[in-house]
Amino acid sequence: MARSTGKHPLQRFTNTTVMWVILGAAFVFYMTPIVWLLLAAFRTESELFSASAFHIGSVDSLLATWNNLATYNDFLIGEWAFNSAVYSVGGVSLSLVAAVPAGYVLAIYDFPFRRLILVLTLIAMITPNTVVALPIYLQMQALGLTNSYLGMILATAFFPFGVYLAFIYYVTSLPRALVESARIDGATRFEVFLKIALPLSGPLIALVGFFSFLANWSNYFLAFVLLTRDELYSLPIGLAVLISSSGALGNDVASDIPINRPEAIVAALLVILPVLLIFLVSQRYVRAGLLSGAEKG
Amino acid sequence: MLAPYLALLLMFGFAPVFYAFTLSFMDTFEWVFWGVENFRLVLQDFRLGDAIGNVFTYVAVWLVMLVLAVGGLSLMLDALAPRPAAVLRTSFFLPGAITSSAIVVVWLFLLDPTVSPYAPLFKLAGLETRSHVVAQLGFPVVFALMAFLAHSGGWIVVMGGALKGIPTEVLEAARVDGATPVQTALQIKLPLIWRSLALMAILAFATGIQMFVEPQLMAMAGSQYSRPDWSVNQLAFQYAFTMGDFGASAAMSVLLLTAAISISLVVVFGTKFYRTD
Repeated sequence: MARSTGKHPLQRFTNTTVMWVILGAAFVFYMTPIVWLLLAAFRTESELFSASAFHIGSVDSLLATWNNLATYNDFLIGEWAFNSAVYSVGGVSLSLVAAVPAGYVLAIYDFPFRRLILVLTLIAMITPNTVVALPIYLQMQALGLTNSYLGMILATAFFPFGVYLAFIYYVTSLPRALVESARIDGATRFEVFLKIALPLSGPLIALVGFFSFLANWSNYFLAFVLLTRDELYSLPIGLAVLISSSGALGNDVASDIPINRPEAIVAALLVILPVLLIFLVSQRYVRAGLLSGAEKG
Repeated sequence: MLAPYLALLLMFGFAPVFYAFTLSFMDTFEWVFWGVENFRLVLQDFRLGDAIGNVFTYVAVWLVMLVLAVGGLSLMLDALAPRPAAVLRTSFFLPGAITSSAIVVVWLFLLDPTVSPYAPLFKLAGLETRSHVVAQLGFPVVFALMAFLAHSGGWIVVMGGALKGIPTEVLEAARVDGATPVQTALQIKLPLIWRSLALMAILAFATGIQMFVEPQLMAMAGSQYSRPDWSVNQLAFQYAFTMGDFGASAAMSVLLLTAAISISLVVVFGTKFYRTD
């Protein structure tokens, strides 16, 4: 096949070079923070200042830092990590139970108010969740559900984006004929979903679970207003409190607790690493799902 | 099968909005209806003008960065062979793992010339301390950088999908007609993903005007960075938590909600979202 008709070879060379320079710069910009952070976790406070930015520290330094973090209020950070896990597992599970069947019903059946539910779902999906955090707080306050695992989990289980993903998935990849023939054979609607649609939903569940986890784990504003007792904090809230109370990143709080820059870095990594690991494990899967979704959209 | 979701939609989609709307017309100290008094109060707040200005400046900077970089990088990646493109795309996507409060923590390090891996750049610009760097860049740019590092990679993946959706015949025809890769990118591909870029910008705008976490958490680095009333959402938060005035807080939230939902309606009825129906 004839490639590149026309254009001057020199021009072509320049274009390619410029493109690679820009892509290289972007690569450096995006990767630097993560690489730096991972390496910095192995360094002591003084090494952070004195050594070069990508100096490799030691495991001993990391262990010493971890020890300081663990002694902060009797391993309070462990409680925060546990809380975050509970909120995320609870929120993700409930959001799957609610979103997948809902998306299925909206995709397969026709019923009154179907269109209204779809439109409301889309509006809720596009409206940023920070804008409803305060209204949700006001409501939860009235219901007595602030400062509780249940309140946090229920609030994050509402995940309209998951319903949208499920809806798109069933519209595009579940053959209607399959559903109809099962119905003719006498299966109830619920049986059809359970025995036919659900076994075909692996990629969908992974995709919804992935985004739901991401939304849950990184939720700040809602957790910030709903949780005021420090033993109920999630990791992101705890991280901010840890740093503010110790003055680890500033110089106007005099404190004698051993929480300094290395501890701040390791604590931040506790928030980041689970997501990073899930990204790396699922990236091919999610990207494939996103791509197919985008193609159909 | 729809019941669990409908219950959640009612409880966390509809009810809070309705409740905030009701509260916004109440004096929540005496619990009596007092019309638009809350709205009058928050609209006359001398901090509101500044907060709106701050947020819009930030959103403007962020959107320009987002549209240019996501558009440009996506088109470049699409011109590469699949393998290098996949590696680069992943590397752009990974910083998305830095979320929530960790974004601010990480950037407080990145912006500090004494520890930052970008220190040589700051030295080049003659900036020696974090307060120099922040003062030089300004808060809107700092927050735009935070949002950009965390969110642009995900959008590059989405745009990759949109570009893959362009029929090969179209690209083949362009090549036969003698179009260079640059011409193909700018004259064929760009117009075809323009809608996706516009959608991205609208969604980023809707999220951006609600910002709360970043300015709220800058105080982690000390009182000189503390900006408790920098954004509109922070003001709404302050009414509820510092002043205990839930009615005024609700009124501010209702104003933000009105903006957010209006944008949502434009997107829902103005794009292909709805046509998958």
